Amino acid sequence: MYYVVVIATFATMGLALVRALLGPSVYDRVLAVNMFGTKTVLVLIVIAFLYGRPDFLDLAMAYALINFVGVLAVLVFFRTRAQREPTATKSKD
Amino acid sequence: MTVFFGVFLLTLLLIVAIAIVRADNLFVAVMLGGIFSLLMATIFFLLDAPDVALTEAAVGAGISTVLYLAALALTAEREKRHTVHQIKALVVVTTTALLVIFATFDNVQFGDPTAPVHVHVGPWYLENTQRYMDIPNVVTAILGSFRGYDTLGELFVVFTAGIGVLFLLGTRPKKDTEAAETLIPQQSETSEGLRNYLIPRLTGRLLVPIILLFGLYVQFHGEYSPGGGFQAGAIIAAGIILYALLEGETAALRVVPQWMLMALMAGGALLYGMVGVVGMLLGGQFLDYSVLADNPVTGQQLGILLIELGVGMTVSGVLLSIFHAFAARDKY
Repeated sequence: MYYVVVIATFATMGLALVRALLGPSVYDRVLAVNMFGTKTVLVLIVIAFLYGRPDFLDLAMAYALINFVGVLAVLVFFRTRAQREPTATKSKD
Repeated sequence: MTVFFGVFLLTLLLIVAIAIVRADNLFVAVMLGGIFSLLMATIFFLLDAPDVALTEAAVGAGISTVLYLAALALTAEREKRHTVHQIKALVVVTTTALLVIFATFDNVQFGDPTAPVHVHVGPWYLENTQRYMDIPNVVTAILGSFRGYDTLGELFVVFTAGIGVLFLLGTRPKKDTEAAETLIPQQSETSEGLRNYLIPRLTGRLLVPIILLFGLYVQFHGEYSPGGGFQAGAIIAAGIILYALLEGETAALRVVPQWMLMALMAGGALLYGMVGVVGMLLGGQFLDYSVLADNPVTGQQLGILLIELGVGMTVSGVLLSIFHAFAARDKY
């Protein structure tokens, strides 16, 4: 059962990775990274149970907390950039 | 099945690595770097190395992304195109790669019971940790006590790296006073962080204490569960960086001022060294914790706790100083 869940989550990780690689806009990639982070948390949880060591859930919690910091850093980055270069706010590439 | 998982994740890792090299938009490279770090951490976890995975989570996925973005805010988004073909560089890289691949043929098979790691000092650590220290996490025992010299060296490397970055970035350029004056209103505006955005601010304010508490848990529970000073320092730094992102850098500097960061940086390394010296004064050897208390086992536990605290202090101080050094510059 756990194996099925891991494989399914791996599949979604692959799909998120495709979106991160192809883009096309920067925001697609940001969302893809965010989703990849969520999937990583899920995979860690499932593997922790697969190995029979649920005390490793600590790690998943660390990921969930730290991911949020990264996403906020991206938001601040976009905001700073928009203020500095008012013309260059549109997403390129 | 684990092998299949590992192969799948390593394939993804390879794809992401190639994509990072190929990306000429630096922001895209930073985002892909985040994915690389998440993948790497999953692989560490799959290989049953939760301590390393936790470090990768805190440093790779969290702090690195923030620092990369802070650096990226100071420079252009696109990489400069190199039209010159660097044949020499290609030759060097190809030769090194071939040598490394050649060296892997001598590598032991994965899971080979006669590998040096299984027949050298490893089993001795596993057998004797319980007797000497009575703590369940052997990784912490090795890191803190058996290989305490190595960890001391690592800590001083982190400390030195922090000093180096501050030397490069910490000074403000004195020229262009007029330009600086025109930048001041803009600077104060940008240093407000996400103050005007309600939802991130509310959610973030809820999360800051949880992250700090979790960092303290990782710090002081490192003898029983994955974690320790390095991870805790990075998590606590991430918590304060989150505060800086929400309330602005100046507000964060009011909470944890510059002198406190310097004190944390130097104090942590000093604490680690002092634990060793105190051990010498009490009649033991440098970094021999057994003499710190009446009972050698209690002494070992006390020593590990103290040096982990030193590691955590220095790591969080260095990471926060680097973050502030980047954030304080408005334009490179």
